[in-house]
Amino acid sequence: MDLMQSQEQDAIQETVRSFLGKQLSLEKTRRWAEGDAAEGLDDVWREAGSLGFFALALEETAGGSGFSLTEEMILFNELGRSLAPGPWLGSVLAARVLGGAERAAVVDGSLPCALVTIRDADRFEVEGGRVRAQLSQVADAASARALLVYDAADWYLVRRDASWEIASQRSLDPTRVLSSLTCDSECAVVARGESARSLALTATILSCAEAVGGIERTVEMSVEYGKVREQFGQPIGSFQAVKHRCADMAVRAEVARSATIYATIALRDGVANAAHHVAVAKLLCADAYLQNGADNIQNHGGMGFTWECDAHLYMKRAHGFDHAFGPRATQLEALVAELRA
Amino acid sequence: MDLTFSPEEEAFRREARAWLEANKPAADERGEEPRQRAEFDRRWQRAMFDAGWAGINWPTEYGGRGASLMEQVIWYEEFARAKAPEPTTLFVGLKHGGPTLMACGSDEQKSFHLPKILSGEVVWCQGFSEPGAGSDLAGLQTRAVIDGDDLVVSGQKIWTSFGDIAQYQELLVRTDPEAPRHKGISWVICPMDAKGMEIRPIRTMAGHEEFCEVFYDEVRIPRANVVGAINDGWKVAMSTLSFERGTAFLSEQVRLAQLVDALVELARETPLESSPQRQVALEDEHIARRLAQCTAEVEALRAMTYRSVSRTARTGMPSAEGSLIRLFFSELQQRVCRLAMDILGSRILRWDVPRGEWDWVFHYLLVFSSTIAAGTKEIQRNIIGERILGLPR
Repeated sequence: MDLMQSQEQDAIQETVRSFLGKQLSLEKTRRWAEGDAAEGLDDVWREAGSLGFFALALEETAGGSGFSLTEEMILFNELGRSLAPGPWLGSVLAARVLGGAERAAVVDGSLPCALVTIRDADRFEVEGGRVRAQLSQVADAASARALLVYDAADWYLVRRDASWEIASQRSLDPTRVLSSLTCDSECAVVARGESARSLALTATILSCAEAVGGIERTVEMSVEYGKVREQFGQPIGSFQAVKHRCADMAVRAEVARSATIYATIALRDGVANAAHHVAVAKLLCADAYLQNGADNIQNHGGMGFTWECDAHLYMKRAHGFDHAFGPRATQLEALVAELRA
Repeated sequence: MDLTFSPEEEAFRREARAWLEANKPAADERGEEPRQRAEFDRRWQRAMFDAGWAGINWPTEYGGRGASLMEQVIWYEEFARAKAPEPTTLFVGLKHGGPTLMACGSDEQKSFHLPKILSGEVVWCQGFSEPGAGSDLAGLQTRAVIDGDDLVVSGQKIWTSFGDIAQYQELLVRTDPEAPRHKGISWVICPMDAKGMEIRPIRTMAGHEEFCEVFYDEVRIPRANVVGAINDGWKVAMSTLSFERGTAFLSEQVRLAQLVDALVELARETPLESSPQRQVALEDEHIARRLAQCTAEVEALRAMTYRSVSRTARTGMPSAEGSLIRLFFSELQQRVCRLAMDILGSRILRWDVPRGEWDWVFHYLLVFSSTIAAGTKEIQRNIIGERILGLPR
């Protein structure tokens, strides 16, 4: 039994962190957020592909590194910590379910796949190997060469073609560009039944991993600020009102981190009730991210309310995370159903 | 990263489980009265001692099991899973006094006291807190004047659990009133039958008498009972903290999971007063969601504890993150018990019925102490803020 990272996993973390520091720093993300997020992402994607980031969990014979979901968790921790933009999750999942040349293209970074989960207001009609779709709130559509679509039952791949019409939408979270997208394109089912459910759990737990990175960053930001910002002649972090809020943030971060690691290992190892552990992690990560996001703004005082301070970006990510793969209420209902069974 | 145990560890688990199943006494034979409880605990501790299970984390040179960290994890989990009674009256000796002697005691002190503690022969109590020194322990005022071969102690201690039935007390006294607060304190073994002591039980808000206040009126204690050096007691008291490597917490955490399971059962069979059709509590959306939240948080607690143990296994040091877990645990325990009150409704107001059926009420009252005892939640938050996060004092 061991829930800590190995040295090899520490090294993966270091590699990802240094890559993101160079290629996808938050300053750069902010600049993109002001303009066109697609610009420049191609090169970053190729480099990420060459570093093997989209294929950590694939067998070496499939062009991967032979690692597993736990190493992907580390990748997503880092992405969440730095609020990295781009269709990471869709690409990592697509590399799992595609084969042959398509997989190779995802793995080497030439086929970024945006993840779409169908919402009530969306149209997604599949017939005879084609789809007519009218989608809203698609993240990273502009930089994507394909969509990986989950309609709560099956997973589909839609390759980009001339029919795609993309119009950007104003996004709550400026680091996650949203668009509407209509298309009439070829469409293939890539996972159904048990493997579709399993892919959805993988997607959920990697979202949790991404959230954990953000949650931990909110604690760091508050602590850093609490040490340097002075009022009444002393650092505000010495006041219990601030210190104790930071302590509660740290507790929530540890709760979220531990639940996520546990569920990740359970899912990786095919433990019988892995879906339950994933629901627990999703619920507690949402609690932690939403509350830490808000507390972090409060700890930064007036600065925390500004666009310039990064605190709001984490708060906004928290809302995006909550709505990915079922918000808090959905997770709670799933757990309630288990209790009543 | 791995959730499984090795084949040797699993074999250890089977051995522990089988022994506990065959030998654990039923907790309800324990009784209420402290002396009766102590007698029960002594017999149970003796049975574990004779079978080689006592002092699971004590080194073998002191008669303990000397179990590995993972074996300790397994033992504490199995102990709770078997619903084996915790010998709480022996807690201070086994978890605190004994380990302090191992770290700082003289050979004579160790060879006299450790076997008695481990075999359950003696009850120890703690004399740290004072009316004026709670969270601010270093402000303690109980004086000890050196007079020949004796210390002469005068003052008062409080919150001394089992003070009325203990044979020994780990006592912190101020031996140098001129020195800086942390420097003038000594750690002394106080025999509870010494002349000049008066012990009065304190009734808690849960209605039971477990703590005492202890008064010292020129009590003479042999100087040979000082553990470590005179005036070095603060360091001696802190030395014990590194002994507890976070594993004992596993029992409490498994017990909390059992409590939540019991709460789900309670909700399944208890009609809810606020429901017009008197549907059972589990069918109520608000109650059911709070229950689900509690089950999720209890599971996170297990993951946190495993992570903390994993960290300790790497470093060999107790992990500072223990205070995160403690804070989360104590508040969660209170939420769970509060939820039980909301499920039970107005029947909790009548408390003259047999305890067995209503121990939710007792438990609810009891856990008010869990964010106060051994460091209030405010102190825990200070520790997290300052020692883990590095915020300024």
